[in-house]
Amino acid sequence: MNKKAGPMFYVFLALFVFLVMFPFLWMLTSSIKPVAELFGDRAFIPFTDNMTLENYESVFVNYPFVKYLWNSFVVASVTTLYTVLVASFAAYAIARLKFKGKTVILGIVLSVSMFPQIATISPIYIVLKNLGLTNSYLGLIIPYTTFTLPLSIWLLVTFFRKIPFDLEEAAKIDGASLMQTYWRVILPLAIPGIFTTAILVFIAAWNEFLFALTINTDDAYKTVPVGIAMFEGQFTIPWGEITAATVIVTVPLVIMVLAFQRRIVSGLTSGAVKE
Amino acid sequence: MKPNLMPNNEKPIAARAKSKSKKKLSERSIGYFLIAPSLILILVIAIWPVFQSFYYSMFDLRLNNPSKSEAYVSYKVDLHTYLDNFPFLINALEEEAETASGKTKVELKEIQSNLERIDAELKKDNDLKARYDEVDEKLMVMKPISEELAVADIEKAVALQLEKTTNETTDRVRKLKSELENPDDAIGLSSSLSDSVITPNFIGLKHYKDNLADKRMWKAIQNTTIFTVISVFVELVIGLAIAILINKAFFGRGLVRATILIPWAIPTAVSALMWKYLYDGQNGIVAKVFEEIGLIDRMTDLLTSSNGAMFSVIFADVWKTTPYMALLLLAGLQTIPSSLYEAAAIDGASKWKQFVKITLPLLKSSILVALLFRTLDAFRVFDLVYVLTGGGPANSTETISILAYKVMFNQTNFGEGSALAVIVFVCVAVISIIYIKFLGRDLLNDK
Repeated sequence: MNKKAGPMFYVFLALFVFLVMFPFLWMLTSSIKPVAELFGDRAFIPFTDNMTLENYESVFVNYPFVKYLWNSFVVASVTTLYTVLVASFAAYAIARLKFKGKTVILGIVLSVSMFPQIATISPIYIVLKNLGLTNSYLGLIIPYTTFTLPLSIWLLVTFFRKIPFDLEEAAKIDGASLMQTYWRVILPLAIPGIFTTAILVFIAAWNEFLFALTINTDDAYKTVPVGIAMFEGQFTIPWGEITAATVIVTVPLVIMVLAFQRRIVSGLTSGAVKE
Repeated sequence: MKPNLMPNNEKPIAARAKSKSKKKLSERSIGYFLIAPSLILILVIAIWPVFQSFYYSMFDLRLNNPSKSEAYVSYKVDLHTYLDNFPFLINALEEEAETASGKTKVELKEIQSNLERIDAELKKDNDLKARYDEVDEKLMVMKPISEELAVADIEKAVALQLEKTTNETTDRVRKLKSELENPDDAIGLSSSLSDSVITPNFIGLKHYKDNLADKRMWKAIQNTTIFTVISVFVELVIGLAIAILINKAFFGRGLVRATILIPWAIPTAVSALMWKYLYDGQNGIVAKVFEEIGLIDRMTDLLTSSNGAMFSVIFADVWKTTPYMALLLLAGLQTIPSSLYEAAAIDGASKWKQFVKITLPLLKSSILVALLFRTLDAFRVFDLVYVLTGGGPANSTETISILAYKVMFNQTNFGEGSALAVIVFVCVAVISIIYIKFLGRDLLNDK
């Protein structure tokens, strides 16, 4: 195949990037317009002479948006820390130790990651309700395990397998115990993979919608996706605030993606491609 | 390792063998030990709920109805409700009887004695009597009463008799309404009393039977299938095209990769809201553009007509996940050695032939894996539809997950909702089995 990129290629590339980014750009330009210019004739003109930040101000003043951000942050971080820790043990065992039933266990993990959330929600909801855990951080952290744990195990197994087995053998010959081998040899080499897994798990937990919608209905415990979706009033849709909130949520993600893109790509593709 | 077969007479060898076998054994037990926490969590938080959903789906379970808010297999009596009403009802009847005269008085006495007879019947059971007294005592001193204590099993005959008596009481008091001083008190108390009887709400597979005969359910399955097939197919074709085109060295690779990742990374709910703005019938730029190029007649068609809404949902999904698909396929493409293409070019194979004979076969497993994950994701779609259209207009974009959610949380009918959830689960399981048949076992193998 032609590996050289011609000028037509760059035209195509620019078009592609523009199409993918267009919704974001449009949200950005809309968010700095005065509300009146979001409707009527001026709605389709991307520029405004009366640039304003009133929509941004309103998001923070009229909505508990900071609270939503904080809730999402707490839930996603705690979920990430604990699932990646628990998963790293299991993944290490599956990838590097010899024992019966490994394939079956990995099969269970993979099948669970395919479970539709709706199939688990009624018992989880009823149990959490009876335990008084609806409208709490734990009320989301517990059910999030259903998808973050299989995801972490799956990713970590692929990363652990990539570490050369010779290193382990060498450590064994030198008389290192299993735990020493893990802490001194395997773990330092696995840190990039663990970090990648953590990023992906964090994003998955941050974006979750169905559990957050049903379990935490109180404003004090809503997460960002649900919070923004509920901006919509009964009769009016506050587009100004919605565009501003969308931009606020997207900017940190863009920064994160730019910073960690290599890792994210390696994480996303590691389970899917056999080398 | 079979330690017993090791020669035992030579000490050093035996010692070495022993330590080796110990190591093997410990490696295995460490393995199970390390896996245990994850496995237990998965069993409790993911696998148990699926079975529980199936269990719930066989009950008439309604969270807003106290006598159906749990799965009951047998007849029970709620002593808390019973004792909250029974003594006061007897009192009320006695008071009425004192002021009443003639026929009414006789009637009231009879009602009262009927109630007392069934009360005595309840107390015949020793276990029940003990609980009865305990609840009564706690009610007197206004202590909290746990559900385990209050809800007790009773025989079917007694339960039916209790129900019959309380219903009769309500009817008879109602008939005497004009003769009584405070008829509403007695009526209220006796109808509350009848709530203390809990009849089993096990209904077997009725929810499934009803659902399979329900047009709305089939419409939801159809919508989900249309959404899944079209969006996954379009994403695959466009994703593959993009992957092939950008599979080369070029300036700005990092930027393109970041661009690709952003739609994937933002919450689906947020992207759905974004598209709702872009599709809006009055100020949506995408709606405007589609109208200008003649794709739709009027801007409002996008979200207010059935076809328009389905198109909108699919389009938004394609925008969000095509880049991700391209990324997966690109990773697969990069594992194909370029020497294959060079050799084919020397042999005079056309670009198309190279694509069909080299790219597709070598990309097969990447494509299948990407398709598997995408199909399952698309089939259980919830947030995109929930935020963008809410399933409307006129249920034209209502997917099976949305329907299950609505039945469970808007109608609080958890039994039927769980049946729908189990149907989603079965569909997803069937889809995965089909794909895994194609993929073979190499998804799970070590290398």
